[in-house]
Amino acid sequence: MFERDWNHALAESIEDVLEKMFFISALQGDEPQPGSARSDVVAQLSFEGEPSGWLVLRISGGAARSIAADFLGAEEQELTSAQVGEVICELANMICGSVLSRVESEAAFRLESPRLLPPEMEIDCEGAATRTLDVGDGRLTAFMKTGNPACPTAEKSVC
Amino acid sequence: MAYRVLIVDDSPAMRALVRRVMELSGFELTACFEAANGEEALALLRSEWVDAILTDINMPSMDGEEFMRRLHADELFRSLPVIVVSTDGTENRIQRMLSLGARGYLIKPFPPEALRAELERVLGVPCV
Repeated sequence: MFERDWNHALAESIEDVLEKMFFISALQGDEPQPGSARSDVVAQLSFEGEPSGWLVLRISGGAARSIAADFLGAEEQELTSAQVGEVICELANMICGSVLSRVESEAAFRLESPRLLPPEMEIDCEGAATRTLDVGDGRLTAFMKTGNPACPTAEKSVC
Repeated sequence: MAYRVLIVDDSPAMRALVRRVMELSGFELTACFEAANGEEALALLRSEWVDAILTDINMPSMDGEEFMRRLHADELFRSLPVIVVSTDGTENRIQRMLSLGARGYLIKPFPPEALRAELERVLGVPCV
């Protein structure tokens, strides 16, 4: 039940955020594939409350640039890497807040500021709620996990 | 009538989006100011008058709650309409921000028209 609720909330939240704030309709993708590409953009944020946990967003470089361009109303080639990173951090922030509001609307949470992780960093994703979507010319995968450790890089198993 | 709006958010991307959504929605702006946290916003308000404020909650240096407290404690700013724009849609948080004086609360994600509607509501713009 717990797992189904979080998976469902994660899926709904991603689609809602992409549609309302990024003006993007995404298609459900296959299962996340292990490993990473150097061009991936990876954002992570932790949240504290009952429960605490974290969310990690991994987006292929092309999709990240496309999403950032839609969000900022700019041409993809005009964007700097920093701008793309800021938008993906904001996307992670919105998805995380949306999931928590759906699953635990009566609780109180504090979301940390999102940060970018090196794409090659290994993430402990075992038992995490997961959603993969095809977005533009790439793929977006979100992992969300509650409980300890509050940091996804504290343990190692590749997502 | 056109308005002067202050956006308070630590994310430059979010500030840019909010500004763009206001412009695209047809909301009439004469000036749009930006600040990265409550402290910057208070400094800006000492030199620029605004008609409405859109503020995030989780920000470094001075967060949205403290910003609201400071606004409310200042006679000059107490009546300024503030809309909270946040990912946090939990009841506790919404009630706390409203009790601190926020006139509106928009949960991200929101459709673009919701921002204009909320701004017009707190500014008392008559419906056309």
